Parts: sequence; structure tokens; C-alpha cells
Amino acid sequence: MTTRPIAPKTTNTVWPQRLKDHVLPYLLVAPPILLMTLLIFLPAGQAIVETVWIDGAVTVAEYIKFFQSPILTANLWFTFWITLATVGLLFVIGLPLSLYLRFARGRIAAAVQMLALFPLFVPGVILAYALIRAIGPHGLFDTLLHQIGIDGYVSPYLKPQGILIALVWQEIPFTVLVLTAGLRQVEDTMIESARDVGASDWQTFWRIIFPLIQRALVIVFSLNVIGTFGAFTIPYLLGPAQPMMMGVSMQQTFNNYMDRTGALTQAVLTFAFCAAVGVLYVRTVTRSPEGRP
Amino acid sequence: MSTLELIGLTKRFSGRPVVNDVSLSVADGEFVCILGPSGCGKSTTLRMIGGFEEATQGDVRIDGASVLDLPPNRRPTAMVFQKYTLWPHMRVAENIAFGLGLRGLPRTEIEREVKQSLALVGLSGYDRRYPAQLSGGEQQRVALARALVLKPKLLLLDEPFSNLDALLRVRLREELHAIQRRIQITAVFVTHDQEEALSLADRIAVMNAGRLEQLDTPDQIYARPRTLFVADFIGQMNLLPATLEDGRLRLGRHVLPAPERLPGNMPLTVAVRPEDLAVVAPNRETDPGTLWQARIDQAIDLGHYRKILAFAPGLFVDAQAAGTVRLKIYAPKHFNAREGDPLWLRPDRYLVYPGGMAPIEIRQPLVAADHSASAIVM
Repeated sequence: MTTRPIAPKTTNTVWPQRLKDHVLPYLLVAPPILLMTLLIFLPAGQAIVETVWIDGAVTVAEYIKFFQSPILTANLWFTFWITLATVGLLFVIGLPLSLYLRFARGRIAAAVQMLALFPLFVPGVILAYALIRAIGPHGLFDTLLHQIGIDGYVSPYLKPQGILIALVWQEIPFTVLVLTAGLRQVEDTMIESARDVGASDWQTFWRIIFPLIQRALVIVFSLNVIGTFGAFTIPYLLGPAQPMMMGVSMQQTFNNYMDRTGALTQAVLTFAFCAAVGVLYVRTVTRSPEGRP
Repeated sequence: MSTLELIGLTKRFSGRPVVNDVSLSVADGEFVCILGPSGCGKSTTLRMIGGFEEATQGDVRIDGASVLDLPPNRRPTAMVFQKYTLWPHMRVAENIAFGLGLRGLPRTEIEREVKQSLALVGLSGYDRRYPAQLSGGEQQRVALARALVLKPKLLLLDEPFSNLDALLRVRLREELHAIQRRIQITAVFVTHDQEEALSLADRIAVMNAGRLEQLDTPDQIYARPRTLFVADFIGQMNLLPATLEDGRLRLGRHVLPAPERLPGNMPLTVAVRPEDLAVVAPNRETDPGTLWQARIDQAIDLGHYRKILAFAPGLFVDAQAAGTVRLKIYAPKHFNAREGDPLWLRPDRYLVYPGGMAPIEIRQPLVAADHSASAIVM
């Protein structure tokens, strides 16, 4: 058998190839980088500068003012607590739900999956008003309880619980999606092997499944923390007047007190916290899937 | 002492039987292969033994005691799976030690057992590695060590080598055979690879469409396949339709001696192994009516022998079969075969399958013919 000789490279094919290798990638990443620079990095940098460069001198006075204000620090702590409780509840609800969806078969599982993903298609503002009608004072729940003779219902509306319920409901689809995706990467045979050598259900979960879904767990943790910490619509519509979450606090400071620098200071603090969690996220997703060679 | 008994084992998935009334027993220290095409229910059978599938009917007994009510983690079995068997987040030693740790063994004993089992599979010194740092063959050896370290009564293997390349598969097969013989463990091995089954097993259970077709020693399975399915599935076989006529078998224009007491009015099939088809040069002493005339279509060199594919239209009544079915013949390497050459064949030994019943073997007395290529080569 004779092989056909490879056609010699002609010079006119070299330039387009070079263009493809060295110019095209930069052209492709240019728009997002440009957008991020113009819309995020520049304003963020400008905001940071504005909070520390006041009257022609570098100062941390705005930050001192923030941490000396009992109302503002209460808001910060409140935001921390709501975030912690929301993310904690999301794990408590989302993990068993995802485990069920990973291992269950049949119609009931399909229905549960549909229900779990439903909030994904409901905008936050609609959810907030729906919740007010459902669990607010004189709402559906209150009326039903009254009908069966139970009075004295305390509505979670305008209380921390209201924010918690709505945020958890809103974030369950994302949590379940990421966790089931992580769980599906754990092969059946790895679980069966564990059962085979004598592991109970709990031991199989704790020693095999849990370590193997760490990546999904960190992704769920970090993105939920960032989303909750910076939430605005739901805390604004369902939360208490005091303390308030950072997003609401910023809006109030900016609109009601016309304190632009004060609002910026709060924004920088919120951004700093979310960026720190963001680093955890980036480090996790760029690591090799199994975390080890 | 560890024996396994399957009694009328049946598994139905939404009413459809996947494993249908399978009964077999495995003796202490015996190596049984369950062999069959994909989808025949062999893996489901193994998974029912290991407890990963619930039996719809029947019983699984180990040492005479039913294990049906026990979950996999409480059965005295250990399984080696086909792939993704090791836990990627644990080192080799941790993988092997996991089951021992669950049993609460002291650390020094665990370390000793891990070392011993790694030595058994030829991987001493690999204990600190992660599964991703091992080749496919090494991973399966660790999986074997992890199963054996628990000293199970019964070792179950679900196509453990089918994801490996051919050479490695043969080597691991030999190693497994040696290990099994050394520690005398009772083992059930599922495979779709007949060569693997023939070389490993004390006995082979051939399954088809959920049923056990034959349970026998490898040589008996090869020499006397009990059903047409087994005849066709194991090794190479020429299957030829035949009818009974005046006490003789008629195959197209040819006749063959028929077994005695053959029930009439039944579709018959004559099965001839390629090595039982002698290539004959006709001379005055041979009866030309008993020889099958064929024409070589293809000669394939297979190293130490040649496989010849030939048309023999005289054997068939059906014109389409006459033009498409090719006889398989083995000939020695020096046999000179060219496409289109004529060939005379004579079946020295064949099996007659009456309908769905067990076959009857016939050996034709050798005639003083010039067997130019009759050497049986495999």
C-alpha cells in the first residue's frame, strides 16, 4: 500500500492559522473583560477610593463611623445571622432531598424533582407578595387556622423568619441542582462496594458519598452565602424595619439619608465579604475533580 | 467449607423475567463462571447473590443457610465490580482497610492484613497511592485485594477484566486463577467472554434470556453443548438444517448416518465443529456421495492454523441459505487454500439436535482416505 504524500504547507495558510492561534482567543475574551472592567472593577475601585479618600486625605473615618454605629453594626450582624441560618437550612433541606432524588426512581421522584425546581421560575418579587398573601396576617394560613378554631397565629411577615422562609424557598432549586449533579458523579458501584464491605447506610454516606461531593458542597455553600448576603428584594419586602439586611440598609442610607459615602462604605464591606467567599468558590472549581492527583 | 446454592432464582423487572428459575450449586472451593451474551441475566443473578438485587422468587443459600433477608453489608460475600470500583478519595491502603476498620479490628492487625493482601495481588508498596495513580489493571487488583482481605465465604466477580486491554486481561485472568487455587475460595465469575470462562472455570453456567442453558465442565460444554444456543454461543460451530429420510439424515443433496431412535417429524439440526470437518482428497476408496463439495470463499491466517470459510450449496435446500451460509473449517498452516478452490469435506463427528432436546453425538468411522488436512487444530 502506498500512502498519499501530505500536501506541503503553503505560506498563505500560515497567516490565518497564526491569526486563529494568537489573535482570536484575545478577541473572544475581550468583551467580557471589558464589560467586567467597566461595570464592576472600575466602579468598585472608585467606590473604595471614595470611602478612604475624603477631603484630599486618606482616612478610615467612614469605616470607624460604621463600626461605631450600633444600628449599622446590628444590621451587619443581622445579615450574618440570616445568611448563616439560610445556608444552614438549605443544607438541612437540600441534602436529604438531593440524596432522595439521586437514588429514588419512578413517578414520585419525578414529581418531587419538579416541585423542588419550581421556585427557579418564580421571580423574587412575586414570591414575596405570594408569601405575604399566604402566611401574612389575615392571609390564607391565618384564615385556615381561624376556620378550624386556632387563633393567635403570629405571622412571620416583617420578621426575620419571613426573610428566612422566602430565601430558603428561593434557593432550594439551585441547591438541589448542584447537589444532585455532584451526587450523580458518585458511581453506583462506589456505593455498592461500600455496602459490600460492610458499611451501613450512614457509614456509606459519611465515609464515601460526603467526601466525594465536597466540591458540590463548597459550590452550594459559597454561592448561597454570596446570594443571601447581598439579597435585597426579599428582605426589603418581607423583613423587619430594624435590624435590616445590608442590601436594605444600603438602599436606606443612600435614598433616605442621602449619605452616598455611608452607603458606599457598606457596599465595600459587603463586597469584601462576598469576594472572600468568592475566592473559596474559585479555588474549589479550579481544583481537579477528585481534589487529588 | 463454603457452598452456594441457587434454588429457582427468579427476578422480574415490572413483570418481565430477567432471571428465570435458575438453580445451580457451587461446591466448596469451586470456581464457577456464569457465561452469556449481554442482557442474559448473568449480572442480575450475581447481584442477587451479593444482595444488590432482591429476588422475586427462589432462594440463595450460602453454606445451606438462606441469605435472602440479609442486606449486602451482612452477607458473607465480597464483590469485584467491572469499573469505578475504588473510592477515589482514599489511598490504596485506605481502600483495602475500610472494611476491616468497620469490623473494629485493631490498627496493627489492619496494617498487617492490608500488607498481606497487597502482596497477594502483587502490589506491595502501592499502599500510599491514590486510585487515579494506578493503571486499570492495578485498580482491579486492588479491588480484588479489598474483597479478599475480608475473607469472604464467597467471592463474586462481575466482569472484572472486561474494561482492560486484551493482553492485560489474559495476564490478570491467569493471576486470578492462581490466587483462587492458592486460597481455595469459592468463586462465581460473570463474563461474556467465552475464552475467559473456558480458561478460568471448574464449571461454566451458560445463560440465555434469563435461563440457565447448561451447567457443566468447560470440556463438556465444548464437546457436548446441550442446547443449540450453547452450541452456537461457545466456540465456532456449523449449524445445518436436516430432515430424517429412510433412517438417514438428509442435508440438501447429502446424507449422513442418523442416530437410532430419533423421533420423527421434528426439525433437526446437525452441528459440526470446524475441527471435526476433515478436508479429504477423493480417491477410489471414498464414496463420493458422503463427501460434501465446497468452494473456498475466504482463507484467514490465524497464526498456527488457517480458518477457511467455504460455500457448500449442496447442503441446503433453501437457495438463499445455499448462497449465504459459509462453512467454517480449520486447516493446518501449510494447507494450500486459494479463493475459489474446490474442497471435499467429511464430518468425522457431529451432534444431532432434535427440536429442543439434548443432542445425540455421532462419530463416523475413519475411512482410508487421504486426510490431507484433517489435523484438529485450535
